[in-house]
Amino acid sequence: MATKNTSTADQALIPLDYKPSKMRIERITEETSDTKTFRLNFCDADEAQRFEFRAGQFGLYSVFGAGEATFCIASSPTRKEYIECSVKRMGKVTAELHQCNEGDIIGFRGPYGNSFPMEQMEGKNLLFIGGGIGLAPLRSLIWNCLDLREQFAEMTILYGARTEADLVYKEELKTWQQMQDVRTAYTVDPGGETPEWKGEVGFVPQILEKMKPSPKNTIVITCGPPIMIKFVLVSLTGLDFSLESAYTTLENRMKCGVGKCGRCNVGNQYVCKDGPVFRCSDLQNLPQEF
Amino acid sequence: MGEQKLYQASANWLKSAVDALCAAGIEVLAPTQSESGKVDLARVTSSEQVIQSYPNTAFPLKRLFLPMSEVLLEYEKGEEGDVELGPKSAPAKELVILGCRPCDAAALEMLDKVFQWDYSDVPYQEKRDRTTVVSLACSEPSPECFCTSVGGSPQGSEQSDVLVFGGANSAALMQINTAKGEKFIERLADTVTPAPEGTKLPEPTELEQKFDPQKVKGWLDENFESNFWVENSLGCLGCGTCSYLCPTCHCFDIVDEASWNRGQRRRNWDCCSFALFTLHASGHNPRPDQAARYRQRLMHKFKVFPERFGRVACVGCGRCLKNCAVGQNLLADLADIESR
Repeated sequence: MATKNTSTADQALIPLDYKPSKMRIERITEETSDTKTFRLNFCDADEAQRFEFRAGQFGLYSVFGAGEATFCIASSPTRKEYIECSVKRMGKVTAELHQCNEGDIIGFRGPYGNSFPMEQMEGKNLLFIGGGIGLAPLRSLIWNCLDLREQFAEMTILYGARTEADLVYKEELKTWQQMQDVRTAYTVDPGGETPEWKGEVGFVPQILEKMKPSPKNTIVITCGPPIMIKFVLVSLTGLDFSLESAYTTLENRMKCGVGKCGRCNVGNQYVCKDGPVFRCSDLQNLPQEF
Repeated sequence: MGEQKLYQASANWLKSAVDALCAAGIEVLAPTQSESGKVDLARVTSSEQVIQSYPNTAFPLKRLFLPMSEVLLEYEKGEEGDVELGPKSAPAKELVILGCRPCDAAALEMLDKVFQWDYSDVPYQEKRDRTTVVSLACSEPSPECFCTSVGGSPQGSEQSDVLVFGGANSAALMQINTAKGEKFIERLADTVTPAPEGTKLPEPTELEQKFDPQKVKGWLDENFESNFWVENSLGCLGCGTCSYLCPTCHCFDIVDEASWNRGQRRRNWDCCSFALFTLHASGHNPRPDQAARYRQRLMHKFKVFPERFGRVACVGCGRCLKNCAVGQNLLADLADIESR
């Protein structure tokens, strides 16, 4: 865990004037009754050309007049033609975003923050555990790994939501299920299933214990509601996983995204700069204030 | 100290400097006093508006570099759904600050560290670059002052382009610290002269050290969970006065203000004492009560900041304890922590 300031006087500083890039909404996909995925293109061809990011990084998306809000980039860095973000309607900015139509222009600043440890993941078995809208950052990583499939050993995706209707990326869930070299398990909370539901019924940690994945040579990446992560970590420990090879992402309210506005810190760790991706064993050493 | 360039000027140096700079068309901020007696740095156009004797200004320098509310962006939505973004940045005009205290100048060091952390904050840095800081060493610290407890000094020269000793009732001695400071001296022309060789700076003003930040940090390292946080925040109204008046507090919010098809994106001061500061859209709040928020304030200044930037985020100006509506006293709390 980084405890020191990463910058030195010699390092070139990146000028930041808080002006966002203009992005056109190319496509809107309704994921659930309250969640939409927006596919965005840079209006400026040069910006599109220059833009690079890594899975796990986030940006600040803005509707002019409503303000900025922070979301991860939910598309894969291997798909360079666009970026996508999945947004649950919760507050002012997200409500305005949900009012937007294809063709509208919104703002984007980023990418900010660290990313998933792609280098450490090479050659390993990958276990993705997601809950609800928490699948968004995992989706970026899952497609990133699928596009570089030969670099990784087994891939397993465990995903759950409260109800069937709350599952996001339904088409992609099917695609992953049909892939020969991906193991999938989808679950809904008890009572969240319909008679047609063919997946699991139960909370994500229970299904994880039932699946009994082997901790050997495996890296876990989990993302979802805090309560799910808490019990997933308990289950992983019970299955002899080391939390040193488990990663998650934290989300805190942010304004600047670059360590200046002073609100996203957990202890001496800034979610925007030291995260959003954290090793689970490191999180246990932080003040429990997230 | 041997290498430093020293100049001398008359007791009236502040007024001469204001007149010389104003005559050269340079924007000047100097100490003025309102009818109610409040002393503050204000834009002046003549030396008649300036006072020469005061303990410290009501506000720290922060708001000159990080204004209470500042436009980051202007937008206008066009007919075809396009959006025009502005404003175009205007060339920055030179500004000289005269007569701030060493603690307030030293606080710029902490702000620089934050606003130059990997990303250079353009709106902040533009204002920093255009500004020359001329500080006035303290000969009579106020009762609430505690700069010597947090690594400062009544005669500290940190982030002062020029540090002035004396003045008001005695001849002034000017210590030049930077190229900006040299330029300032040139502008004063014949109202200043190089100090004779062997001139010594005045003996440092004594100010007793009231606590040891190392010991405070030692306790903070171990006591994230403690009744101290509840007991010492019960009176806190969460009004934010302490951080708005703090020279090093820099937390901000970014909001849009819309008027039909156009508007502004603004950066406004924010404060960790506010309940909404960390509230998630989901309703979850990582700092759900005033005790957690008070803990963040102290931890950020005396633990997180030293860990990330090598020093505490406090310059000991005493404004927070002097101005708290309910008598919350940071200094007393730090002394309490130290005694534990």
